[in-house]
Amino acid sequence: MEIKTSDAGNVKVLEFEGHLDTNTSPDAESAINALIDGGTNQLLIDFSSLEYISSAGLRVLLATAKKLKAGNGAMRICSLNDTVKEVFDISGFSTILSVSSDKDEALASF
Amino acid sequence: MSNSQEKPVVLAVDDTPENLDVVKGVLASEYSVRAATSGKMALKIVEKQVPDLILLDIMMPEMDGYEVCRRLKENPETSQIPVIFLTAMDQTTDEAQGFDLGAADYITKPVNPPILKARVATHVALKRSMDELADAYRLIKRHSERMEQELSVGHEIQMSMVPAAFPAYPDRDEFSLHAMLKPAREVGGDFYDFFLIDDDHLCLVVGDVSGKGVPAALFMAVTKTMIKSHAIDDQSPASIVTRVNDNLSADNPASMFVTLFLAIVNTRTGEFCFTNAGHNPPYVCDANSGVTVMDQRHGPVLGAVEGVAFKEDSRSLCEGDQLFVFTDGVTEAMNPDNHLYSDPRLEALLAKAADAPEQLIGQVVADVERFADGADQADDITVLAYRVDHLQDIEAAATIRLVAKSELPEIERINREFAEFGQSCNIPADAIQRICIALDDLLNNVISYGFQDDEKHEIEIDVTKTDTAVQITVSDDGVPFNPFDRVGPDITLSLEERAIGGLGVLLVTELMDKYQYQRHQGRNSVLLTMHLQE
Repeated sequence: MEIKTSDAGNVKVLEFEGHLDTNTSPDAESAINALIDGGTNQLLIDFSSLEYISSAGLRVLLATAKKLKAGNGAMRICSLNDTVKEVFDISGFSTILSVSSDKDEALASF
Repeated sequence: MSNSQEKPVVLAVDDTPENLDVVKGVLASEYSVRAATSGKMALKIVEKQVPDLILLDIMMPEMDGYEVCRRLKENPETSQIPVIFLTAMDQTTDEAQGFDLGAADYITKPVNPPILKARVATHVALKRSMDELADAYRLIKRHSERMEQELSVGHEIQMSMVPAAFPAYPDRDEFSLHAMLKPAREVGGDFYDFFLIDDDHLCLVVGDVSGKGVPAALFMAVTKTMIKSHAIDDQSPASIVTRVNDNLSADNPASMFVTLFLAIVNTRTGEFCFTNAGHNPPYVCDANSGVTVMDQRHGPVLGAVEGVAFKEDSRSLCEGDQLFVFTDGVTEAMNPDNHLYSDPRLEALLAKAADAPEQLIGQVVADVERFADGADQADDITVLAYRVDHLQDIEAAATIRLVAKSELPEIERINREFAEFGQSCNIPADAIQRICIALDDLLNNVISYGFQDDEKHEIEIDVTKTDTAVQITVSDDGVPFNPFDRVGPDITLSLEERAIGGLGVLLVTELMDKYQYQRHQGRNSVLLTMHLQE
């Protein structure tokens, strides 16, 4: 899975290309933790190139969200495809995480 | 009441004491002899103790023998005592009068000792038998009411257990089905059953328990329930029957057994698999009035011996074919001349019979009734008919088998190979994605929790894609592990409250249209189905 990092003002943007599942989630978690340890407090996760996510990926998102909230930070997720949206709905993550339909909307909400 | 321990009591009545001595001499060794010299005295003695037999002289002053006899017979408490007249008179008319009065016998004097002994013995024995009979009759009468009640309990058990609502599946136009159970007066342990195992598979059962009465009805109930509970996660008739037989044989103190015919029909294709355990062979009636007997046998009756491996056979039905299953109450029905209905007669009837199950069954039952012509129905009569009305076209299918080692990194490869397969047979992209998620989570569970040793294990993933669905079977030889047995996570909790974990199975069950776990012959098997837009 490809992980692209970029900046948008004070917000760190992480783009995951491919799928977030059992085998790719550890790498995602490492990348995220590296950013947080390096001081990142505002994180945007861009799913526009993400095909699908399994429960292993959901776990990483939940852990990250809790961590950031504990440190008075914020996390947004944007550009979910239909499959990922369905997974978010099934798991209840649509309610507990901040989800936006596109990048601009997400950045504006920080 | 008869008392066989003590000597029988004989009362001898004669106004001449010497005659009494003679009688005493002859009988005293085997009988307890009481003596009376007048009718009045005799009646008084009888009042105090009822003798087993009375030897009565006729010519006596004041009250003669006839009068004594008359009085004894008038009193219900003494009317059953056998009375033998002993008299010097031997004219026929006197004998007639004696017998008219109810005397049991008539012996003329002088008495011949062996004859006296013999006649007394005969009549005492006769009386004893009558007394025993009377006791037995009283007992039987007391119990017959209880038996009537038992019969009705047996009936209730039997009739409540067989599905009786017809038409059974009105919304299914691929097949029609009808069945009937005509119980004998005494519950005979027949049963039938039918139930859907899944949308496309119907299980048909007909059985006959040995014996009668409530025990047979209860054994029938146990057997029927066992079959249904095993059939839920086992699609092989041979396997179901093998397991049921082991259960029944293991705990069968009354040594009951049951003959069984079990079939699992694919309602879309008309194919069915069946096992016959000691049951009379069923028939297939085809659309052209041909009647063939399905005489394959796959094992003995159930309940007799543990550890039998039953077999099964398959067969296909075409549109218009009917499967006719029945118990031997049909072919062994008897008419008043003790002739049996018999198989040839049934076959002849089936060849001309109606081609709808309800009508066919009606005809068979009516014909058996006609044949029996009022004779008692000795055994339950059970009939079941299944007709293929309409077959679905066999769909083209693409299949692939993937094999994964029981290591998490393997999941990556499996999903990639599945995605390639999916693209090659035009599974829509979003279906592929959903299935990949389900596979990721399911395989993760199996690999993480399904094996409790350090051995290498393999997981087989079979994929079948038809026009209407993608079906995936994931099977492994790990410990019995049903991933759907877990309670799901509470998805209504807030971010802070949410626990990490538990979501995998939830995603599988929600993303897939159907899911089912089976444990069969040492393997876990998870069947997943995703419907495709037609």
